[in-house]
Order: sequence, then structure tokens, then C-alpha cells
Amino acid sequence: MRSYLPIARGSYMVGLVYRFGFLFTIVGNVVYLGVAYYLWRSIYSYSDTIRGLTFNETFLYVGLGSAIFILLKTYADWYIHYEIREGIIANYLTKPLDFQLYNLFANLGSLLMNLTAITVPTVLLLTFVFKVKVAFGPGLFLFPISLLLAFLISFSIDYSIGLMGFYSESVWGLSTTKEIIVTVFSGALIPLQFFPAAMQKVLFWLPFQAIYHTPIMMLTKPDQALNVFLPMMAVQLAWAVTLFVAARLFYNQAIKVLRIAGG
Amino acid sequence: MSLIHIENLSKQFKILNRREGLSGAFRDLFSGNYRTVEAVAGISFDIDAGEIVGYIGPNGAGKSTTIKMMTGILKPTDGIIQVNGLAPYNNRIRQAQIMGVVFGQRSQLWWDLPVIESFKILKEIYKVDQKTFDRHMNLFNDLVGLGALYTQQVRTLSLGQRMLCDITASFLHNPQVVFLDEPTIGLDISIKAKIRSVIKELNSERNTTIILTTHDLGDVEALCQRIIIIDKGKILYDGDIKKVNALFGAYRTLKLQIDDFNEKTIQLLKEKLCDQFGEDNAITVAETEESWTDVTIDQARTPLSDVLNFVMSNFKVDDVRILEISMENVVRKVYDGALG
Repeated sequence: MRSYLPIARGSYMVGLVYRFGFLFTIVGNVVYLGVAYYLWRSIYSYSDTIRGLTFNETFLYVGLGSAIFILLKTYADWYIHYEIREGIIANYLTKPLDFQLYNLFANLGSLLMNLTAITVPTVLLLTFVFKVKVAFGPGLFLFPISLLLAFLISFSIDYSIGLMGFYSESVWGLSTTKEIIVTVFSGALIPLQFFPAAMQKVLFWLPFQAIYHTPIMMLTKPDQALNVFLPMMAVQLAWAVTLFVAARLFYNQAIKVLRIAGG
Repeated sequence: MSLIHIENLSKQFKILNRREGLSGAFRDLFSGNYRTVEAVAGISFDIDAGEIVGYIGPNGAGKSTTIKMMTGILKPTDGIIQVNGLAPYNNRIRQAQIMGVVFGQRSQLWWDLPVIESFKILKEIYKVDQKTFDRHMNLFNDLVGLGALYTQQVRTLSLGQRMLCDITASFLHNPQVVFLDEPTIGLDISIKAKIRSVIKELNSERNTTIILTTHDLGDVEALCQRIIIIDKGKILYDGDIKKVNALFGAYRTLKLQIDDFNEKTIQLLKEKLCDQFGEDNAITVAETEESWTDVTIDQARTPLSDVLNFVMSNFKVDDVRILEISMENVVRKVYDGALG
């Protein structure tokens, strides 16, 4: 592990180097929160609760959803695909590093950067500007673990898409499709409670909601019993392990077709 | 036992045959029409610890493919390859610990961070202890004067500075063998000289084995005792540099732009040179590009200045350039049996 921590530190520093990118992300997120606030305000002007969620809960859900969405958005699929295509991967393969762990830690650095730049400011905004109230309950303590599992799932999906670089010249279509599927079915855009009941049941077993819906629930409705949260986290854990291992097997297969440009 | 042992090594690539045009591109989506390209076709050699070996050949000769097999990136199609007694491909992570690699065209440094951060990251990756790290950094500072660059972002370095950093970084973990893949590509003469002296110092200081691929014969002359020439995946020559030295060390190409150039000029120039310097003068004349005439001279037999003076006084010359012999010409001469 010692070998990999400096990699996370390095990629965190890269985030800091681009001060303007940092600032604009914060500003962009503030604008999004403002738009979401007025949108849901007007939707809630017709009724106090929709599908059992109050305005406060929905706005917290959507606000945190966007914060976690950007938090986990590390563009790993694009970077890894680019590095494979351009042959930059050769630099990693000649080092005593595991490619998956290398990328995991590089992403962890970007994640921590996003945490500083986006999640923390968003939470502060939600609390002090929009005066959203968070209830107290066991969910708050489970949230960090749940977020870490969400990160592992999100990373494994991105990493596997990035590995397509061994087979395909372009990752654009695949990445965009993944983005849309994840955004819609994960609850990042619309709370999952708004979906038809049958669909919610199906979505519960998919990895997408495990990325956003589960950690968000820990914060929006933390005062639920443990037997509500634990099955959700079990699904998360199962997906995190499955996808991480699957990505590893995929790499072992993909590396065999490695061709690096130039001869 | 030799540090690197290669026997009958070959590597084939499968390449999709692409068809022409838009409809061809669509049909290629479903095509299974591959052809096999043999990048390395059965080579054998041994390299001992502490050697500096120049591994040269024209573009596409199979140099980088061999390097990538030695570093464990590519798996050989056939044959034996051992570095320090182990097959690199099967023991990639373990082998990486004893190797250093510089790909001239791709930096291993973190582009957006100050130079020193890359060194710190490498220190942890290779598990170099603080004392060794400090000692190495002091050595690099003495050799290269890196100290002033430490706080600069890698992307703001000049190509030459970046290359010096890349090369020293590859020595940080005191590897047994360092692969330098075109380390002087695109650099000017003075920085090339600096890089060569740094490589030489590091080699003699640590007894590190160095495998150098390059297009610049000057690098080979300055650094290597031994040279391996490869073309079309096969070894053309493997041996002492002195023998090859005569091939490219003494040869110079005089590029002339002659006024009123026409189809007869070349013939006329040939005849006049023959009259002046004798039939057996080892001078070749050829038109290479539009209106440029190449006169290749073996300086061991005919002084360059004599030829230049003679041409200048007999022809109206608009422009002159003097080039060292190119890699392609060396290979051609080897083919022609110049090494006997």
C-alpha cells in the first residue's frame, strides 16, 4: 500500500494546480443548486409531499445527488482509455505497479480533490444558504463506508470501460451511454422513489443505485432502522467486490492483446 | 552468466487489413481479415552486466518491440528471453524493480507537478529509502544540476531538461539495467552532449547495464563499446563498435544545391570527381531530393575539404550542407557487405 499512497497524493496535487478549474467547478455547482432549488420549489407548490418525500428531503436528495455525482466523476474511463491508446501505459507497465491499484489510487486522489472542491462547499451551501435540515440517525455513521463502496463500484465500471482501449479506438459512445444509464437509474437526477414501484424493485438489485441512491439515503433519511440500511449496503458490498474482481479478470484478458504504437 | 539472454526471439503482430473508403470502413467493422506482421524474426544475443550496448536500426526495424519484450510489456511469440535469469513477461512486477526505462517520446514524470514530486513518487513506488534517495539526488545534482529545476512544473521544462530529468529518474532505484529508447530525439547538439556524458557517468558510477536505441549515430559513437544492428526483425551485425565505426565514423555526406541543375549534372560531377580523385575514391554521388545532390565521402581516403574545394571551384553551388551518414545508409552498407 505504501507504494500507492503517494500516487493518490500526486493526483490530488494535480487538481490543486488548476486553480481556475477548481473555482469554476464550485461556481458551476452553486448555479446548479440554485436552478434545482427553484425547479423543485415550483413542483412542490402543488403539494407538500410527493411519493412520501417533502421538499426538504427531495432538495437534499437532489443537491447531495449532484455533489456525489461530481465527486465520483473522475473521468477514469477517458484517462485510462487514452493512456492505453497512446501507449502511455508502457510507463506504468515498466514499474513495479499493479495497473488496477495504480488507477484506483490515482482516482482516489481526484476523488479527494472533488471532495474539497465540490462536496464540502455543497454541504455548507445546503446547510447555511438553503437551510436544509438533516435528521440524526444511524445513517450518518454508515454514510462514509457507503460512499467508499460507491466509489469502488463507480471506479470498477469506469476502469473496465477504460480497458476497452485495448480493443477499440474510441470510447466516446460507450462512456456516454454509461453516463446516461448511471445518471438515470442511479437516482442522481431524480429520486428513485419517483420511479414506478416495479421498476424500483429491479433497480434495487442493479449496481447503479448502489453508487448514488444508497449513500444519499443515508443522509436524507438517516433516522431509519438498521435493517433498512444493512441490506442496501450488502448489495453495495456485493457489487463492489464483484465488479472489482471482474475488472481484474478483464484486465488479465485485455492485456494479452496489448499492442503499443511504434515498433 | 549474462544479464540478458535472448535466444531465437520472435514477435508477430496481427493487424487488421483495412479497406479503402467509407464503405470499406463499414465492412471492416465485421471483418476478420488479419495479416501477420513479424516485427522481430528470431534474434539471439547475450548482454553482460555493465555493458553499454547500442541497439540501432531504421524505423520499423523491431528495436522498440525488442525493448518492450525485454521490459515485459510484450509477450514474445516464440523463443527465450531472460533478464537476470527470469522471463520478464511472467514476472513483470518483480522484474520492474531491477529495470529502469526511458521512452524518449513519453515522459514518466507527472506533467502537471513540480519535478521533485515525480522523484518522490518514484521513491515510494520503488521503495527507495531516504538515505539512498538523498545520496542519489545529490549525485544527480552534481551531474546534471537538477536542483534548480526541482520546483518547476514538468510541462514548463525544455525538452532537453525534461529528458535529463527522465534519465536520472530511471536511475533512482539503482536498477541493474536501464533501457533508453531514443533519449536524444529532437534535441540540439549541446544538450545531446550533456545527456551522453550523464549516461556515461551513471554507467561507470554504478556499473549499470545500458541498452540504448537511437537514430543518432553520434550517441552510439560516444557511448557504446558494442553495437547491435537490426533491420526487418533480424540482426545484421552484433559486435565491436570499432569495426562499424569505420563505416559511419569517417563518412560524411555533402549536400549540394548546384545552380543550373539538370539531368547531366550528376554524370558530369561523377566524371570530374573521378578525374580529380581517381577511380577508387570511395565517393558516391546521387540525387536525393529535388535539385539536391548528395556526395558521400569516406574521409579516411579523401579529405572532405578537398572535395568541397574542388566542387566549389568547378561548379556554381548555391547552397551546401554537411551531414553525418544516416542510419539508413549504414544499414545499406552493412547489407552491401561492408562488414564482410
